[in-house]
Amino acid sequence: MAIIAASGVEKIFRQPKRQAGFGGAIRGLFSQEFTEVRAVDGISFEIQPGEAVGYLGPNGAGKSTMIKMMTGILVPTTGTVEVLGREPHSHRITNAAEIGVVFGQRSQLWWDLPVRDSFDLNRHIYDIPAPRFADNLARLTTMLDMAGYIDRPVRQLSLGQRMRAEIAMALLHDPKILFLDEPTIGLDVVAKDVVRKFLADVNRNSGTTIILTTHDLVDIEEICPRLIMVDDGKLLFDGELNRLRTALGSRRRLKLEFGTDPGPITLKTAQLVTDEGLAKHFLLESEQTSILDVLTELGSVHDLTDIKLEEPDIEEVIRTFYQNKLTSAGARP
Amino acid sequence: MRAAAYPAFALTAFQSRLVYRNQVWASAFGDLVSIFARVAIWTALFAGASQVDGITLPEMVTYSLLAGPLLYWEYSRVLYDVGDAVRTGDVAVFLLKPLHYPSYLLSTHFGHFAFECVAIVLPVGLIVGFTVGLLPPASPFHGLMFFAYWAVSWLILFTLACLCGLLAFWLLTAFSLEWFLMAIMSLFSGAIIPLWFLPAPLATAFGYMPFAWISYYPSAVYLGKLDVAATWAHLGIGLVWLAVLTAAVLALWAKARHRLIVQGG
Repeated sequence: MAIIAASGVEKIFRQPKRQAGFGGAIRGLFSQEFTEVRAVDGISFEIQPGEAVGYLGPNGAGKSTMIKMMTGILVPTTGTVEVLGREPHSHRITNAAEIGVVFGQRSQLWWDLPVRDSFDLNRHIYDIPAPRFADNLARLTTMLDMAGYIDRPVRQLSLGQRMRAEIAMALLHDPKILFLDEPTIGLDVVAKDVVRKFLADVNRNSGTTIILTTHDLVDIEEICPRLIMVDDGKLLFDGELNRLRTALGSRRRLKLEFGTDPGPITLKTAQLVTDEGLAKHFLLESEQTSILDVLTELGSVHDLTDIKLEEPDIEEVIRTFYQNKLTSAGARP
Repeated sequence: MRAAAYPAFALTAFQSRLVYRNQVWASAFGDLVSIFARVAIWTALFAGASQVDGITLPEMVTYSLLAGPLLYWEYSRVLYDVGDAVRTGDVAVFLLKPLHYPSYLLSTHFGHFAFECVAIVLPVGLIVGFTVGLLPPASPFHGLMFFAYWAVSWLILFTLACLCGLLAFWLLTAFSLEWFLMAIMSLFSGAIIPLWFLPAPLATAFGYMPFAWISYYPSAVYLGKLDVAATWAHLGIGLVWLAVLTAAVLALWAKARHRLIVQGG
């Protein structure tokens, strides 16, 4: 059974229209106009227990709104969200006890207190039995390398240290699902790496279901086999990361290098893009084509010195995709 | 509901205050200055008279300490706590945990208050007691009843501060509300001038408003200005006010939460 099920979810925010200037502010006191913002627009998906899902999209794509609906602090305008078989917002307290949440931009740690004291408060809040708490704390402290700063006040920590502590805090009560809203935002390369490896490990070895939002594709490559991509509130893609390329219609590149110029070459399996004489660049027509197919078609008559098959860079693929969308939107009258 | 978490919040708040030791010195010094200023004013007003309207000068000194730092504690901390959580959206963090936000606030601010009692009010009380002199409760009955009034006073001030803080959901600023509350309180609660020195119609009107239970009634009970029957009766009225204010806080919180989760703040 799905651990999370969203069906036809829409979220419309009503925002008061602020009129510019002093006069506008005065008018706003008496009558308010509202604009409707559709943050999430008809999204459906199911997530199975033990999955790690990356929720990807540019700023304002409705990622955080979706996370907030799954954690029960926002109600969908239409459609339903079910988490662990319950409607999260009407069972907020029960739901909260079974999930862990990390917001990259909001701290849940007590600013003035040592990290350990915040952890201890969570023991009370979630009613964690003492032996299990001790076990979890010891395990998380080792895995996230927190021993050096667990007794220091939160305000003295670096962002990387703090984020590790935030993640540990969200896992102390063994939640079934861990939600992370941009967990690597603002971290340096090393800190990002530690967080990613840890999350992948938690998902593979403890079986905790992970849903994380990010702008950073590497987060998804390293943690999440499955990707949900959204833009403008709409679902663009849901599936395995390596299928995204095909779904967005980008093809692999083939580069052939010759010792002597073989003259023009045409292939059935690939389309010629540029011909530099000794080096020729092709785009492969199909996902199924292998190097062997190319070699078979080419035959052994040419003086072939090198053959390279390049996977398109995913980030590149997505960037092109969004840019194309922007230009086509801009071109519309 | 994880009841054990709430005492833990109080303890945590208490501990977190130990971090800012300079703040303690500043508050204690401020309280001392304010009390000695009141003592000087009352001494000047009494101008050598043994009593005014049946009130003696030592009674007014004791009243200054009780109605001032002890009962009229730093409620603005509650107001800002709620106001900031609302304005910055941090209140979402509390909604993500299996806990009741108003109860969390209550326990946390009780921790702050306990700290202020130990670190500020107690030393200030000792200094005033040894220099100007403080009176004991009028009778053992009045002494005991003072504790009941104290509890009601604390909770009424807490609920009033919560109400103003929650209004920030709609007004998005707690600052103007603090001024509003402060202005009302300094007159209506008797924190500065006891109701017995006010013109009779005003005193009667103020005497039925919830603010009077914050500073005036507890201090008056301590000094034995209410007889046994009136002490019990006013405790009852105070409890009714407390129930009304608590219901208002819970209703406003439910409305705020609804607004937050339906409209997204």
